[in-house]
Parts: sequence; structure tokens; C-alpha cells
Amino acid sequence: MAAGMLGLCGRRLLAVVATQGLPAAHVRWESSSSRAVIAPAVIAPSTLAGKRPSEPTLHWQEDPEPEDKNLYENNPDSTVMTRTLLWTSGTCGTFVAYLPDCRMQERARREAERLVKYREAHGLPIMESNCFDPSKIQLPEDEDLLVAKRAIKSTTFSTMPAILPSPQSP
Amino acid sequence: MLKYIIPTMMLMPLTWLSKNNMIWINSTLHSLLISFTSLLLMNQFGDNSLNFSLTFFSDSLSTPLLILTMWLLPLMLMASQHHLLKESPTRKKLFISMLVLLQLFLIMTFTATELIFFYIMFEATLVPTLIIITRWGNQTERLNAGLYFLFYTLTGSLPLLVALIHIQNTVGSLNFLILQYWAQPVPNSWSNVFLWLACMMAFMVKMPLYGLHLWLPKAHVEAPIAGSMVLAAILLKLGGYGMMRITLLLNPMTDYMAYPFIMLSLWGMIMTSSICLRQTDLKSLIAYSSVSHMALVIVAILIQTPWSYMGATALMIAHGLTSSMLFCLANSNYERIHSRTMILARGLQTLLPLMAAWWLLASLTNLALPPTINLIGELFVVMSTFSWSNITIILMGLNMVITALYSLYMLITTQRGKHTHHINNILPSFTRENALMSLHMLPLLLLSLNPKIILGPLY
Repeated sequence: MAAGMLGLCGRRLLAVVATQGLPAAHVRWESSSSRAVIAPAVIAPSTLAGKRPSEPTLHWQEDPEPEDKNLYENNPDSTVMTRTLLWTSGTCGTFVAYLPDCRMQERARREAERLVKYREAHGLPIMESNCFDPSKIQLPEDEDLLVAKRAIKSTTFSTMPAILPSPQSP
Repeated sequence: MLKYIIPTMMLMPLTWLSKNNMIWINSTLHSLLISFTSLLLMNQFGDNSLNFSLTFFSDSLSTPLLILTMWLLPLMLMASQHHLLKESPTRKKLFISMLVLLQLFLIMTFTATELIFFYIMFEATLVPTLIIITRWGNQTERLNAGLYFLFYTLTGSLPLLVALIHIQNTVGSLNFLILQYWAQPVPNSWSNVFLWLACMMAFMVKMPLYGLHLWLPKAHVEAPIAGSMVLAAILLKLGGYGMMRITLLLNPMTDYMAYPFIMLSLWGMIMTSSICLRQTDLKSLIAYSSVSHMALVIVAILIQTPWSYMGATALMIAHGLTSSMLFCLANSNYERIHSRTMILARGLQTLLPLMAAWWLLASLTNLALPPTINLIGELFVVMSTFSWSNITIILMGLNMVITALYSLYMLITTQRGKHTHHINNILPSFTRENALMSLHMLPLLLLSLNPKIILGPLY
């Protein structure tokens, strides 16, 4: 509780410092969101340590150090983020939306319509119920079937249940 | 294919030779650019796959997974920036190198033609992941987690190597493009039972199947955020992808061999969903939620119908994005309060309203809200399992209810209610975190407009 209140007070102090400047300390302060700089007239080498940021040009690209950034100011990172997101989604979305006939579905639809039109014009049935041409299927002779059956039976193990629900596909 | 592999390999010299203040920027930006080029894979032919060379090919199943893999690397890099702040530049570069290496192996796994190459890459992905979990995890339990993760997967996949070599000896080729046309019906014998088990157990452990899922809560919880993201989003889908490929060689044995695993998955999805309702650890909840969603995918792949395959593919992509986003959200909590306990940081909606919006969206997609692709995947799976056996509708319906329950429980516990006083001074959301969440959510929402690209080869 006390730590929380201390943290809040610390943050308020930082906000005051950011807007009104340091009371009387001999340190240099650079804003990370604007080009405001508060620097003492004479910089003694011993006071260079403190609030001087080490990489001034790259604040906005990494997480800000919580000790010396006022987090309630306007965030320039959000502009970059928004523009990145819009550009990314726009470009990728356009690419995906304008893919030419992905997996040939439009061509398949056109071909199907053409075939239907042809078959209706010629009085043929639109589709046969046989997937494969029955005349092309060659069944083995009866004796070969019996031999194959015996071979399969000898390799099957007896614990296999005889009745299994067969999977039905939609 | 080299247009993805060489830029990804070149990300490593990029990180090692960057200036110390540019490592994150360089690697994130360049991996994002590489992920844009992955969209080129979507130019698929009608019945065939895109065959790049004798070694690599990609079809409608591996394309969305590849795009997801390459999309996730910049996201992982963005998510890891905070917890690596205090490390030395060398360790940061090592971490990024591990991620890039993992990415490389994953790309090669998803596009492998030769099944032994697939196996080698499949195993190779374990090594960087193990290093990421055990070296950069946060608690001492990470060593145990790494052990579980490594040895569960290794034990499951060593028989796969034996089975693949056996298939190479009997059939003559392990080139997947040839095998899918050359596969003969597998007759019923004890040795073929073990062949089926050997082929499938590796992927069952990876998915994970309910009885073999023990590694997942440990590994997901102990891994750093990038490790959790890649584990949840991609590595689990390796199992699903492998199962979808290898079942082509194992017909018609799958019709009856799959029964125990279908039962385990149907029961497991309800069990793990119920466990989620009783979790106090946020990351553990998301990890068990992953097991539950993947159980649906296992059921879908094992019943082997066109609709179930479409549902499995859609569910894999949808879950990848959703689960990764949930881990990022949990990590944003963890970075503020350094604890994974849910109730310690509650009532966040008043403190971080934008993050609450991301929490809401992530929870809604997790519970498969229409019209997201999560729902499309789950719906296809529910419909196909119903036609497989009518009773499964009860289990599936129960699972959807419990999923909704724990997703809303997680949302309400972390976001709603009065916030505790000790989180009054948490840092506001970084732009980086908001960008991360939106980069997860944006593909998810955009895919709801055009889900046919993630419905797999049977669409």
C-alpha cells in the first residue's frame, strides 16, 4: 500500500518535472516525444550522470525506462503502429483477395456449368450414379477370390471383433 | 523454397552483426518482411501441390501453417523485448538466434517432401525449443519441464523412425508425392498394428493426446513468452500436420485402430476443459485449453472424412493465433506483477481498458464465437463427428459449453470487478504490446472473411 502510494507520488513528481522543469538540479533532460531539452548553462562533468538518456534518438523504438519517462504524454509509437498495421493488413489482404483463381475453383465452376448445359441440350443425364465406369473394372475369377480369402483369414488374428460400426462419411 | 530459407538463415548474421541498439529493430523488421513473402505460397494449383524441387513442396495443408510460422517470428521477437531488457547483448542475440533456428527448422519441416527429412527436421525443432525453455524460463521448474518435453517427444518419435525406415524398405520410396499415389491398403496383422502405432504415436504425443499430455502444461508454463507462443501456435500443429500426412499410408487400418485414440480424445477434451475451470495459474489454464482444442483436432483427423479434415486444418490455424494471443496477454500480466496467479491482477479493465479489449477479443475467439474461424473449425468437426456417431454430439456440446465457461471465467477474473489496490501503479500498456495483440487479432478477423484458404486440401 505504502509502496503503491509512493509510486503514485513519484509519478506525479515526474509529471511536474516534465512540464515545469527541474527545480534546481544540474542535470540535462531531453524529452523523448518532442525535441524539448532542458540543459544547464554550464555542465560540470560530475553532474553528467543522472537523467541523461544514453541513446536519445532511439527512445521511441524500445520500451521506455520507467524511471525517466512520463507515460501519460502522447505516444508517437502509436502512429507507427497504426500505420504498420494498416499497411500490413491492406497489402496482405489485397494480395489474398486478388489471388488468381486459387486452386482453380472458378474454372471448375465454369466447366461444370458448361457440362450441365451440354448434357441438358443433348438429353443426357446430368450425372451418372457410378463413380467409375463399371465396364472397366476387372474382377478376379472365383477361384482366385477363394485363395485370397483364405490367405487373409490366416493372417487375421481371432480377437478382432466381427461387428464394427462402419464409418460413414458425410 | 530457398526464397524463404536463405532470408531466414540470413537473419542470424543480421542479429549478430547488428549494433546493440538495433538488434530488436533489425530482426523484427526483417522477419516481418520475410513473412510477407510467405503469402506467395497461396498460389496453389487445383489438384496438385506446389512442387518447388525434389526436396520441398507445399500444398493447401502446409501453406497456412507455413504462413502462420513465418508470421509468428516477428510477433515472438516483439513479445520477448521486455523480459530480455536486462540481459547482455550477447544473450539477447543468442535468444534471437535460437528463435531463428527454430523458424528455419519449422519451415523445412512443413515443406519436406522426403519423410525422413521431415523426421529429422521434426526432431531438430526440439533442440532450440528445449534451449529456450531451460535457459530463459523464469522458475526452477523449467528444468523439469524441459526434461518432460524432450523425453516425451523423443520416446514417441523413435518408433516413427523405425517405421519410416521399414516403409522405405518395403515400398521403396519415402517421397511423399509418390507415396500418396502408391500407398497400398495395409493388411491386417499384428506387425502392421505396431507399424500403425509406431507411425502415429509421435504425433499423438506432439498434439498432445489426452493420456500423453503431461509435458504440455509444464512446458507451456515454464517457457518464456516466445517459447510459449511457438509451442502453442506451431509445434502442436506439427503433430496434426504429421498425422494428416502419415494417415495416407495407413489405410484401411485407421478405421479400427483409431478407436482407442478417438475415445481418449473425446473424453480428454472434456476432462481438460473441466481442469481449466479449476486453474489458478493463468498460463496453465491456457495450456490446458490448448490440449482441449487439440483433442478436437485429433478426433477430426482420425475419423478421416473430408469435412473433418477441413475442420481440423481451420481449427489448427485458428487455435494457433488465438492461443498465442492468450499467452501474450498472460505475459503482459506477468511482466507487471511477476506472478501467474490470475486473482492477483484482477479488475484490469479499469486500469488498462485497451488491453481489456484485447482480452475480450481473445476470449471470444477462444470460445469459438461466430463468425470467427475458430467456430468454423469446431463446427465442421462437430458435424463430421455427429455423422460418424450420433452420441458424440453430447460430448462436443458439453465441451463447447465448458470452453465458453472457462474462457469467460478467465476474462471475468482478470478484467472485471474491483481491482486490487496493489496493482494501482502498474505500467500502462506499451505500444509494443498493443501492436502485438492487434497483429494476432487482425489475421484472425480477416480470415473470417475468407476462410477458404485455411480449409486445407479437401476444400
